Amino acid sequence: METFLIVAGLILLSIVFMYNTLISKKNQVENIFAGLDAILKKRYDLLPNLVASVKEYMVHERITLEKITELRTKALGENLDNATKIALEKQFSSMLGNLMVAVENYPTLKANENFLHLQGTLNELEEQISAARRAYNQSVTDYNNAIEMFPTNFMANLMKLERKEVFSVPSSERANVDVKNLFKN
Amino acid sequence: MKTNLASLMDYYYDSMYPSLKVLEEKRLRTLFTLKKAALILCGIAVLLFLFLSQNAFFKPLHAALISAILAFLAFMFVYRHESAGYGMLFKDQVIEKIIHFLDPSLSYDKNNSVSEHEYQQSELFLESYDRFSGNDLIYGKIEGVDVRFCDLHVEKKIRTKNGQEEWSDIFKGLFFRADFNKNFHSKVVILPDIAERNLGVLGSWIQGMNIQRGELIKLDHMEFEKFFVVYGSDQIESRYILSHTLMEHIVQFRKKIDKPLYLSFIDSQLFLALHYNKPLFEPILSRSLLEFDYIKDYFELLVMITSIVTEFKLNEKLWSKR
Repeated sequence: METFLIVAGLILLSIVFMYNTLISKKNQVENIFAGLDAILKKRYDLLPNLVASVKEYMVHERITLEKITELRTKALGENLDNATKIALEKQFSSMLGNLMVAVENYPTLKANENFLHLQGTLNELEEQISAARRAYNQSVTDYNNAIEMFPTNFMANLMKLERKEVFSVPSSERANVDVKNLFKN
Repeated sequence: MKTNLASLMDYYYDSMYPSLKVLEEKRLRTLFTLKKAALILCGIAVLLFLFLSQNAFFKPLHAALISAILAFLAFMFVYRHESAGYGMLFKDQVIEKIIHFLDPSLSYDKNNSVSEHEYQQSELFLESYDRFSGNDLIYGKIEGVDVRFCDLHVEKKIRTKNGQEEWSDIFKGLFFRADFNKNFHSKVVILPDIAERNLGVLGSWIQGMNIQRGELIKLDHMEFEKFFVVYGSDQIESRYILSHTLMEHIVQFRKKIDKPLYLSFIDSQLFLALHYNKPLFEPILSRSLLEFDYIKDYFELLVMITSIVTEFKLNEKLWSKR
């Protein structure tokens, strides 16, 4: 009788432990995504200022500027789920990257004080976004590990927890970075 | 900042050599004094032994031991006194000159150290200590970055199994502090990794349990993770500070010095600690000052320390810190 109680007690404890671990990892993912979201918002908020200062110079990029403003409005919309937010962010990053490359064609703009200040702030935000992305990916990996590794995978199945996607940098964006370096020479 | 050995050699022969010759004489005199003292004390020890063994109260073995120990203590006293005198002169004539050659804007204070506040602020070693001492403080700007570093020795008293009290080292070696080129509010502490390397995933789990240190930060750089375990108070900001490039620089530096390395980022400052078994800027009495090879070692040590600024690119300011 006693051994049965002890064994049952241990099993109960492990169940509690596994449940709490999974919840904690799931919440950590949400927590870090919130941090990432906050930094992305800072970047989105920078856009009107950026558009205003380049509009007069970048006469050939009017369409790009309109598109990117539209994207921003969409991204700041209410009740978007995480996957949509990430998808929009990837599009936005890609367009912004293209825009910053196009700046190379407008030497007067490149020398503009206001623009340089904005560019500096944008670069710093990029560093912060990169850090947030890495933190998010680590938390997602920890979460995925927990729901797929033994023994917590049984618990995860019962809780109906699903794998999450890491935030990958699209290959097109990587190509943009290379072009930027070309211009720097 | 000059790091060229060839120009050091020129400086050594042109500017340092004359005063080195004078100091070398002092060194030889010191060595001679010590040899004389050793001989005299040996003689006294023998006499003491003979005297004591005459006395029936002392067994010959005890008499020998007592004489030997007394003579040895007396010698240590003379040694400390003589080598301290020579050491001070060495620091003035050699170390100060090498620092001036390396970068004339750097200041050297041989008797001072970083403050206890700075040591505590770094959060590198959390143990409470009983003795805090240091010297050879060097401070100033390197490539526009404020730096301060010194030779530090921090100890605590422990009780051995016999009930005796002993001094135990918490940290002994180089303590370095510099302005970091990013602004941040949280803390990151980077310690040498022992558990993860030996125990793999289990080690990682154990490291996660260290409550004193805050959250475990798992980073996405394999070599860095192998050398270090990182604790921080904010997952995102820790990665903002530890970019891939900086992690790469730290790994390269760690490989170069081949010693356990401790780092922390607190209050927009970088703190760094390296264990050294012997003092950094003390002379070796038995080595001649007129050998360039010997003097060059001190120069190379200083270059290694000051290059931390350029190796970790601390001189490349971010937009917001300009």
